[in-house]
Amino acid sequence: MSDDHHHEHDHDELALRAAALEAVLVEKGLLTTDQIDAIVERYERDLGPQNGARVVARAWVDDDYRQRLLTDGAAAIDELGYGGFEGDTMVVVENTPDVHNVVVCTLCSCYPWPVLGLPPTWYKSPAYRARVVAEPRSVLREFGLELPAGKAIRVWDSTSEVRYLVLPERPDGTEAMDEEELATLVTRDSMIGTGLASAPS
Amino acid sequence: MHGFGAVVTPGSDAVSQEDWELRVFAMSTLVGVEGIGAGSGRAIREEMEPAEYLRAGYYERWLWSTEQRLLRRGTIGELEVDEWVARLRAGEAAPRRDDPEAAARSVAATSTTDPLTPATDARFAPGDAVRVQRMRPEGHTRCPRYVRGATGVVETVRGLDPFPDIGPYAGPKEPVYAVAFSSEDLFGPSPEGEWTVVLDLFDSYLEPA
Repeated sequence: MSDDHHHEHDHDELALRAAALEAVLVEKGLLTTDQIDAIVERYERDLGPQNGARVVARAWVDDDYRQRLLTDGAAAIDELGYGGFEGDTMVVVENTPDVHNVVVCTLCSCYPWPVLGLPPTWYKSPAYRARVVAEPRSVLREFGLELPAGKAIRVWDSTSEVRYLVLPERPDGTEAMDEEELATLVTRDSMIGTGLASAPS
Repeated sequence: MHGFGAVVTPGSDAVSQEDWELRVFAMSTLVGVEGIGAGSGRAIREEMEPAEYLRAGYYERWLWSTEQRLLRRGTIGELEVDEWVARLRAGEAAPRRDDPEAAARSVAATSTTDPLTPATDARFAPGDAVRVQRMRPEGHTRCPRYVRGATGVVETVRGLDPFPDIGPYAGPKEPVYAVAFSSEDLFGPSPEGEWTVVLDLFDSYLEPA
């Protein structure tokens, strides 16, 4: 039922089948090996939460940018040079003292690749997908996030081509930090909504 | 279904568990970019036999759907992958070909976007109460079962997008709305209190409430 319940044997067979499919495509001239290498490298190295962290940090220090980000997420994210597949239409939802947002894709694994990269394994798990809409406080508690009883929770289920990014609250005690320093406080989970931005050390 | 257990388990923070998984991700992406497969991977994955679908790992499903798209387009033959499995098992080296221009072109292709188009004449407006229809679509749908029959309120008209249940993703464009539901209308009372669940739903799923 999940990625970690397989036996070694299955893994070997899957690795072999994946390699065989690649061999077919390369032998037939349909794809080249370095095309595949380049896509892996892009999604492993270039795209990841470091991009989303820069977007969040900019929004924290520049209120005009924050407004643009909340109005047209994809256009504002493109200002920082990020865009592409799974970032076509971006909606940025802002955490406030009264509201906490958390994102899921109950149907599959929709996730804003240009700003967060590929999703972690738990985001794709049946457990997260089934439970976070139906018992969000319990799920957030498993991430170590205990929200005050009075705080409203909004769960965003990415059922269409719209992709969501949470704009976490700026932590207290960060008034003296610049944009680059602030970006180091922005965790991946804080942009999914299963965490908060880190406190400054 | 219940009994899923904990969300966070050892190793679950990583985006992949094994090297082959991201190569499958890349091949799947390139099948789309290069137009060498049929259909939508997202929809085809749901055609797996249900018990097999639940047993399979995430990228195992991607591997299956990528092969299916290539087979259905006729790009590869029925037994070609099996033949290469046997050749690799026998110790033959996999072929390697490089084309830096093609690699750069593919990366550039994944950097393009195709946003929803602005909606004019949408049937519903922000503030409208809507009910999700009871229905049982034959194939892929973007309407989860847990909202069918429930009433919510339109918050935003997101724009126009092809209706995904036909084709899939080949239907005529229609409005997509962000619809907010009370957790109590979806799941009943909960010891956690009340919260809001927002889904982006296509016009065809909805009726006035």
